[in-house]
Amino acid sequence: MPFDFAKIASQIDELTREVPRGGPDEFAPLRDAYAEIDAGDLVARITDGKNRHSWMPAIPRAGFNGAYPAPPPPTDFSVLATDGSFILPDRHSPARFYLINVSRVHFHYGTRPDAELSSQAELRYREHELQVDGRIPVNAAILGMRRAADELAALAALAGAVARPAVALQDGTLILWALSSQETTVQDWVLEDFLAALDDLRERGTPVASYISYPGGKDVTDALRLAVCDYPPRGLPINCDRCRAERAVPACQVIPPVPDRHLFAHIANLRPGERSEVYYSASKILQRYREHRIAFFYLQTGVEIARVEIPAWVAESPAQLDLVHGVVYDQCQRGRGYPSVLQEAHEQAVINAGERRAIETMVEEALARLGIVMLRSAKDTSKRSRFV
Amino acid sequence: MNDRIGEIIETSTVDFWAESAVLHDLPPLGALVAVQLPDELTLYGAVAFGQTGGIDPGRKAVRRGNDDVYDAAIYAEHPELNRILRTTFRVAIIGYTEPGGTPRHHLPPCPPPLHYSVLHCDAGVVRAFTETPRYLPILAASDGEVAPEQLLAAHIRAVWRGRGHDDAWLAAAGRQVARLFKRDYDRLVTVLEAIDPGDWSLPPTDNRLNGHGGKPIGTAPL
Repeated sequence: MPFDFAKIASQIDELTREVPRGGPDEFAPLRDAYAEIDAGDLVARITDGKNRHSWMPAIPRAGFNGAYPAPPPPTDFSVLATDGSFILPDRHSPARFYLINVSRVHFHYGTRPDAELSSQAELRYREHELQVDGRIPVNAAILGMRRAADELAALAALAGAVARPAVALQDGTLILWALSSQETTVQDWVLEDFLAALDDLRERGTPVASYISYPGGKDVTDALRLAVCDYPPRGLPINCDRCRAERAVPACQVIPPVPDRHLFAHIANLRPGERSEVYYSASKILQRYREHRIAFFYLQTGVEIARVEIPAWVAESPAQLDLVHGVVYDQCQRGRGYPSVLQEAHEQAVINAGERRAIETMVEEALARLGIVMLRSAKDTSKRSRFV
Repeated sequence: MNDRIGEIIETSTVDFWAESAVLHDLPPLGALVAVQLPDELTLYGAVAFGQTGGIDPGRKAVRRGNDDVYDAAIYAEHPELNRILRTTFRVAIIGYTEPGGTPRHHLPPCPPPLHYSVLHCDAGVVRAFTETPRYLPILAASDGEVAPEQLLAAHIRAVWRGRGHDDAWLAAAGRQVARLFKRDYDRLVTVLEAIDPGDWSLPPTDNRLNGHGGKPIGTAPL
C-alpha cells in the first residue's frame, strides 16, 4: 500500500498553525519578564522548600540576563572531541554482542597546526557487558548512556596526552537525564566511568563542554515562569496544583511556550559570539554528579543559538569559562556554524550500512567455522527477503 | 627502492590508482613511475591523471577562504584538511622488466597488488626503460580522462627531460608518434607542437606542485 501523502498534507497545515510566530504582542510579557527579572528573588523562589511546582528552572549562577562577547581564543591551542556509534544487540541473532565505535579527534591551531583523527571499535560480548548486575539486559537506552560514558572516558584519555590550553568537546548533553528512570545499579554502571572521566579532566585542567545545536531546552523560560508567579507577592508559597484549581489562567501563562533558543535569539537578541549568563540545571540526575553538577549557557554562533553545557568547576573558573566560550565560538566560525572538531569526530565514528553488513558477515563466518549455522528468526528472514 | 610516492588503492591489468603519500604532492602528468612486484618483476607506467578531493566521496569541498585567509593559510586554519582530503593519480601501465632487467613493452601478466608502493624513477631508470620508444602505442591506446595526444605529449616531454634533454630520443619518439597518427593530421600536429623543445625546455620550478620537479630521486633497479 503506497504511503497516503494526501492524508497528512492537511494535518501538516494544521501543525504549522501551532508553531509560535513571535509577533511583537505575543512576546511582550516574555520580553518584560526577561528584562526585569530579579535574579536574587528567583533563586530564593527556587530554593524555598515550601514552593511546590512542576518546572525544571534554570538556576542563575550570578546574573540572569547579561550578555558577554566571545573572548579571542589563545594563539596556540588544541580542541579535542570524541563521538561514538554502536551496533545494538540483535535479538534475532544467535550471537549476542554489541559494538561501540568511539572516534578520537585532536586539532591543534597556532604556530604548528596539525590534526589527528582515529576511531576504535570494541566488540562486547561478556556477560557483565551484556547484562548490568547480571540481570538487567543492556538495551538501546542503556547502551546510549554507556556510550556517553565511553566517549567521555576516551576524551579524558585524549586530554591526558595533549598540551594545554585545550578544550575537550562532546556533541549533545552532559546531563544523562534518562538515567533518572533507571535502577540505581544501572546508574552506577554508567556514572562510575562518566564521573571518573570528569575527575580526570578536572585534574588535568582541561575544561570540558558539550555542544547542543538547535537546543530544545526550556530551563530559562521555565525560570521566568517561576519569576512571574504572583503567589509570593500575595504572601503565599508557590503551589501549581492549587493555582490550577483556583483559576483558569495561571499568572505564568503570559510566558509563551517557546524554547530557550527563541528567548536568546529574539528577546535577548544575542549578537554573534555573545553568550548568555551561566545557569545551573535543576535536573534530578545531577544530584548524583558529585562536584560535577552541570551548568550551561547559550551562545549565538552566528548561525543559530546553541547550548553549551559545562561542569561546575568550569562554570566557576572565569579563565576556563572564557576558554570554552572563545574556543567554541571559534570552532563554529571554522566549521560554518557547527564546531569542525565535532563534525570530524562524527564522521570518524559513523559505522555505515556497508560496514554494518560486513561486521554481521564476519560474525556469521566466525560462527560457521565453529559449525554453528546462523539461523535467523523467521521475522528477520521475512524482512530481509521481501516477496509478493 | 625507498622513494615511495604513493600507494595503490585500485588496480587492474591496464591501469591503477594510487593515493599520494602527501596531499597535493603527485608526480607530473606523463612521468614514468614504477611498482616493485613480489615476483621480482618491476612494473612501469605513465601518470595519466591526477586529482585531489575528499576521502569520503559523499563530502564535497566547500569554500573556506575569505579576504584574510586564503591559499596555504586555509590549511593552517583547518588542519584537519590534510587528513580528510587526499590526492590520487591514475597510472597507465606500459610495461615491465624481468628479473634480468630486460624491458618488456607490453602489459604485464597480472595487475600490481593493491596497497603496493608506487616509486619514483630516477634518470638511469627512465633512460633504461624508455630506450626504444616503440611502447608509445600502448600509451596512445590508454582510455582515460586525458586525451591520448595530450598524455603522449606529456610523457614524451617528461622522458626527454628525464633523459637529460636527449634530442636523438625525442626525434625517435616523434617518428613513432607520426606513425601512430599517420591518418590523423590534426592530432599529430597537436602532439608535435606540444613536444617541440623550443618552448618548453625550461625545467619546472615549483617542486611541490610538480611532484619531484625532475629531481632525480629513487631508483627502480634494472
